[in-house]
Amino acid sequence: MDISLIIAQFMSGISHGMMLFLIAAGLSLIFGVMNILNFAHASLWLVGAYLSYTFWYILQDYSIAMWLSIVLTTLSMGVIGMIIEIVLIRRIYNRDLSEQLLLTYGLILVIGDGIKIIWGVDNKLIPRPEIVATPIDFFGIPFDSYFIFVILTGLSVTFFLWWFLKKTRYGHIIRAAVYSREMVSALGIPIPRIYTGVFAMGIAIAGLAGAIQAPIGSITLGMDMSVVVQAFCVVVIGGFGSLLGTFVGALIVGEVYAFSILLWPQGALIFIFLVTAFILIVRPWGLFGTPMRK
Amino acid sequence: MPDDFILKIENLNKSFGGVKATSNVNYKMKSGELSAIIGPNGAGKSTFFNLLTGFHRVDSGSVFYKGRDITNWHPHSIARLGIARAFQVSNIYHTLTAYENIRQAILTQQKKTLNFFTPARKLAERETMELLDTIGLHEQAHVTAGNLSQGDKKRLELALALGCRPDLLFLDEPTAGMSAEETHDTMMLVKKLNMELGLTILFTEHDMSVVFGYAQRLTVLHLGAIISEGTPAEVRADENVQKVYLGVEP
Amino acid sequence: MNNKKKLLWIAAIFAAALILPLIIGEFWVHIAIQILIMGLFATSFNMIFGYMGQLSFGHAAYFGIGAYATGLLIVKASIPLHFSLAASMIVAGLSAVVFGYFCVRLTGIYFAILTLAFGQLIFYIVFQWYSFTGGDDGLQGVVPPDFLFSAYSYYYFTLIIVTAALIVMWMIGESPFGYTMRSIRDNDSRTRFLGINVRAYMHVNFIIASMFAGLAGGLFGPFNRSIAPDLLSWHHSGIPVFMAVIGGSRSFFGPFLGCIIYTFLMAFITGFTQYWPLVIGTIIILVVLFAPGGILGILESRIKALLSWKGIDEIGKKTDDESY
Repeated sequence: MDISLIIAQFMSGISHGMMLFLIAAGLSLIFGVMNILNFAHASLWLVGAYLSYTFWYILQDYSIAMWLSIVLTTLSMGVIGMIIEIVLIRRIYNRDLSEQLLLTYGLILVIGDGIKIIWGVDNKLIPRPEIVATPIDFFGIPFDSYFIFVILTGLSVTFFLWWFLKKTRYGHIIRAAVYSREMVSALGIPIPRIYTGVFAMGIAIAGLAGAIQAPIGSITLGMDMSVVVQAFCVVVIGGFGSLLGTFVGALIVGEVYAFSILLWPQGALIFIFLVTAFILIVRPWGLFGTPMRK
Repeated sequence: MPDDFILKIENLNKSFGGVKATSNVNYKMKSGELSAIIGPNGAGKSTFFNLLTGFHRVDSGSVFYKGRDITNWHPHSIARLGIARAFQVSNIYHTLTAYENIRQAILTQQKKTLNFFTPARKLAERETMELLDTIGLHEQAHVTAGNLSQGDKKRLELALALGCRPDLLFLDEPTAGMSAEETHDTMMLVKKLNMELGLTILFTEHDMSVVFGYAQRLTVLHLGAIISEGTPAEVRADENVQKVYLGVEP
Repeated sequence: MNNKKKLLWIAAIFAAALILPLIIGEFWVHIAIQILIMGLFATSFNMIFGYMGQLSFGHAAYFGIGAYATGLLIVKASIPLHFSLAASMIVAGLSAVVFGYFCVRLTGIYFAILTLAFGQLIFYIVFQWYSFTGGDDGLQGVVPPDFLFSAYSYYYFTLIIVTAALIVMWMIGESPFGYTMRSIRDNDSRTRFLGINVRAYMHVNFIIASMFAGLAGGLFGPFNRSIAPDLLSWHHSGIPVFMAVIGGSRSFFGPFLGCIIYTFLMAFITGFTQYWPLVIGTIIILVVLFAPGGILGILESRIKALLSWKGIDEIGKKTDDESY
């Protein structure tokens, strides 16, 4: 195995990690703030991918069709997230864990069939525009230029989330709501509206991830299943509710995935589970989470 | 030479994130004692019990029970040695009946919990009814514990500890939330257990009339450290104690 | 309900189950076998969920391991069915020894995620291991022995095994061990202070529950004549969760009742649409939103409302002896 292959694989690991980060960030944010584990998160990611295909299909005569479809998908998924929160999630805030998981599990089944009905069973592919279609030279190694775009998007979202949560008034309110719902609502800030916003934001980011996934390879039914479990692994490794943890966890899983594909192509997911299980056993609360017990 | 101390604590320390909750505590108890630990809120009384029963890990120091080093043992291993505790906030099985609560403690003590095929209702009937009588919950035997009154929950809490048939019993505020009458009954029972069964009992209490009325020996904790120790009369006269409790310079 | 009455009811249901195939057609006998197998699966799941208070989202892995153990023994080694069923229980139990060791160190949502992750791990191993398991082609030709070939004989065979398994699980539930599980569910910290090694007990319970899931899986292969890796996936793990919630997890027979409801719904709905997941997904969402406590809960409160309307308000007070 020569060094250029290792570097190429490393970069593809980062790119895969960024994709996972975009999915897991919303998952972690929603869990951290609302204490809801959204099983259907990756299914909504897949809806985003299909939706971006539709936008691209309508706009394909224009040169910016793909870029525009990414923006449109992100916005529409935000609206869809808002609707889901208001219609479904809001009603199960104080329910048992089993009922929360069951509801989002039901959502997965509905979304899976919904995609089948709306978009059919054929695979979909969005061709890339010229600028990201050809590999670029990366220290003498050809590297997929679209991956550069994926990595930059991931980093921008990371920065945006960090800025939003730490530097803005809304971010402060959201973080305060994590510690004391009563306090925040006593200050006259409506908790349900915060939750709707957080959920919508998480789903919008998942939609963004889905839209930039579409031009990587073809979109197929059932893709969400392997992704959702990987996203869970990311969040568990990093620690629930920790943005930094999710970022690091995504990179770990991305790299483990990229390199285990070299060693044993079919076993990539198995390696990810082994790493996750190992970290859970050593630090059950994840790398950057806080311990539950004294 | 084996000494006759049932409990011996040496240089016990515990901090939570830089805050000293237990500071260099040395403490001994003779078998058959009925003693109390008092101190203002946050003095470290509950932490002290948590360290002795294995709920928290100690930072340094040792705990000996009947001459045996039990420092940092698991709670269940410590319980198996015959050390039981009752909690300040009743810590019972809310969906089980009072009867089933007590039976669980007794079956555990009798090491019958790995029995898979005998119906639990056929086991430990006599012992469970006896303990229900002792504690005065006979009539509420088949009430779901979550529906009991506050006082009855506290009594059930005590019964769970007694079901373990301990030699050493820790009671964290056994009468908290009880009426004057219930307090009297409970403390009379505690005294009876001590006198008749020879149970060694260490309790914390905020009601000073209870403390001075029943404890043979008092220990005062303040900011995690022992500031005074002795008979009730001695402690009452201690200047340090007056300073801590009354905030006055004598 | 007192115990004698309960026993009488159970005997009556068993007798009805015995004469059932004489009345219904072969299609419904197939449905009945499915109810028995999935009911066993759901009841084993409820040993962890209802009794121990932890939500496993990877229970299908042990069902699948059991299915593959029996399937492989029949297809590759022609081992008689009763031996392979025992092997199913043992292999599923051994897997639970390994995976359960880690799972019981966590509780709540972390337990759910770890069981899910391990379940998917096992799923992917089966899915990828073409040379041994047949990969995503699954395992074909899992045929029961001649004397169990007809649906009717396989029904009676399954009925006997499932009934025996349910009796054993019921006994465990009523035993001191079963009550220790309830204690851990209610208050694990107090149970620790009574002197119980909580993790070890949870591990034992996890193993027992997985063995019965393995038995259910073992029965499923020869019934279905083939086995697919999907049986292990977390989609399949969601089914007993739904059955337990819809039927009620706080009673022993609740999950079985949920299984009957689920299976009839499926038989009915797949009759006129291919979009079964869409329909069941919608039903799951509606049940969670509008019928917390499951169908039994609704029926119970309806009956109560009806009775109190007639002036009997005593009924509301009598809820204690039915919850365990």
